[in-house]
Amino acid sequence: MHVLGGLSLIPTFTVSGLALGGVYALAATGLVLIYRVSGVLNFAHGAVAMFATFVAYQVSQVMGLPVLLGLLAAVVTGAVLGFCIEYFTIRPLMGRSPLTKVAVTIGWLLVLQTLAGLIWGDTSYHGAIRVVPQGGFKVPGIDLIIGYDRLTIFVVAMSLSLGIAALLRYTTLGAAMRAVADNPATARLWGINVNRVTAVSWMLGSAVAAVAGVLITPLINFDTYSLTIIVIDAFTAALIGRLVSLPMTLVGAVLLGCAQEWPTAFTSNGGFAQVSTFALVLIALAVLYRPSVGGAKLRTRVA
Amino acid sequence: MNIAARPRRTLVGAGIAVALIIPALLSPFDQDEAALAAITAMLVVSVVVLSGYVGQISFCQFSFAAIGAFTTGALVDGQGWSFWLAMPVGVVAAAAVGVLVGIPALRLTGLLLSVLTVAVALFFDRFVLATDTLPAFSGGSLQWHPHKPSLFGVQLTGEYGFYLFTFAMFLLVVLLVWNLRSGKAGRVLRAVRDSELAAATMGLNVTAWKLAAFGLSAGIAGLAGCLLAVANESVSAGSYDFLHSVQLLAIATVWGVGVLTAAALGGAFFVYGPELLAKTPLSAKWFSLILGAVLVAQLVYSPDGIIPKVAEDIRHALHRRRGDASMPPADAPVVEVA
Repeated sequence: MHVLGGLSLIPTFTVSGLALGGVYALAATGLVLIYRVSGVLNFAHGAVAMFATFVAYQVSQVMGLPVLLGLLAAVVTGAVLGFCIEYFTIRPLMGRSPLTKVAVTIGWLLVLQTLAGLIWGDTSYHGAIRVVPQGGFKVPGIDLIIGYDRLTIFVVAMSLSLGIAALLRYTTLGAAMRAVADNPATARLWGINVNRVTAVSWMLGSAVAAVAGVLITPLINFDTYSLTIIVIDAFTAALIGRLVSLPMTLVGAVLLGCAQEWPTAFTSNGGFAQVSTFALVLIALAVLYRPSVGGAKLRTRVA
Repeated sequence: MNIAARPRRTLVGAGIAVALIIPALLSPFDQDEAALAAITAMLVVSVVVLSGYVGQISFCQFSFAAIGAFTTGALVDGQGWSFWLAMPVGVVAAAAVGVLVGIPALRLTGLLLSVLTVAVALFFDRFVLATDTLPAFSGGSLQWHPHKPSLFGVQLTGEYGFYLFTFAMFLLVVLLVWNLRSGKAGRVLRAVRDSELAAATMGLNVTAWKLAAFGLSAGIAGLAGCLLAVANESVSAGSYDFLHSVQLLAIATVWGVGVLTAAALGGAFFVYGPELLAKTPLSAKWFSLILGAVLVAQLVYSPDGIIPKVAEDIRHALHRRRGDASMPPADAPVVEVA
């Protein structure tokens, strides 16, 4: 009985799952961009998104300005944070081991997480930032209502992700980014300003994460911790794309979003979303990475 | 004979004496805190084993500790076991899970494995320890409240007595790890950390050694968890989440992740840092902000950590005064201190 009742809810949760997946795709796109161009696995990605999102909260909810202005503030904050992290703390470490650079992003995670907690409070409830008003339309034929917000989130997030994939593939800047990703030394010989391209990739990746953070607020608990840990959802999607392929990352993100929402149809225990994430990480790591001496080797092709 | 050995032995002896005497003079509250510092120091040792000796970043040390803590809670408070029986069970369970988490190391490089440890940490934090998932393990909404044990008929409920017990356990753990490090295991683990490829070429079973390091590290963290459960006399999921593991990693890195001496100081810093901050115009909440900022600044300016840096500076100062030509020049690679 319960299971049957749960099954009838699947279409509704699929709609939420698609919206969630769109946001994860956006966050993961930024993560992959940064990883490919600078070689840094950015554990502070979620924290950057969180901090920028709370700036949007400050502008739109606390100061009462238009939501779009809040979104803009978040994008600017994200880009500035991305630039600061790269320029002041990653660039001086050129030539150091990847683990050292990961440790730097861990430091940033702590700084941003604690600072946001001090400014906006750790646990208290924050009103979601609704870029699109609530409401929805009924799908004819079946018992399903699609919210305008969820539809917009999915469309905006997906087009932004695809836009970045297109930017990498078809523009001069994208070509420069791919060149730096493949081999910074050769790229420099070709007259590419490697430092500038790296900085731009951090700014773009972090700005995109900021948009993801703002869009996700109606879908999850809007607090500092929940937003900071969307980094693992971005990682999961990126792993499904083997940290190189943006199209596969998008597929992975949508899969993850749905896999997190579906259990909610059958159980009230929200923890099952984390089981889905964990399972997908394991599957991605087990299936997609071939063993070799000393661990898996990643291919070095972009998008 | 190692020239540095004698001053080091004196220093360690003096350190132990200080750690025994100072807490005896403190208030009961600060003695409780000292016990927590000794336990946290154990957690830092667990990071040193994994990150310093094998070069693996783990974001789930507090999840291993949670296995120890919740096993203790469930067995002592839930089933009425003696703490002395529950503790080994908790340690073994944590070590077993540690090996399980390490198994993907068969196929993955360090960075991807650390992503997996984030997933493990959140899996525990948000699912396994959630109140309605496994009430028999997590204690449900009531939480476990295991009491402090007695040792040879002596109740360890006194603050100083319990501190002595935790400090003894810390020394035991350090001794164990230090022994391993100076023996064959230490050489193998350092070889694995420096180049897995070279280690494999030498005929070492890299995978087995890595798994063993994971098991040992998780076991130590689990032991710390068991002690934490009775030190606080309560076990709640919020104290074992992902952010705690991140803070632990940051502390171990700041104090020098390859160095055992760093552990004791790191433990004290973790417990007394927030308290000292609470006495300033800032609040205890600022602790992880400052910790993160120090971590970033230190990685940019002195990537080996505070303890190795200071030790190096002192050695060079001594060297300059004595004019000892046998000491390495300033730009020589850093020599391990402990």
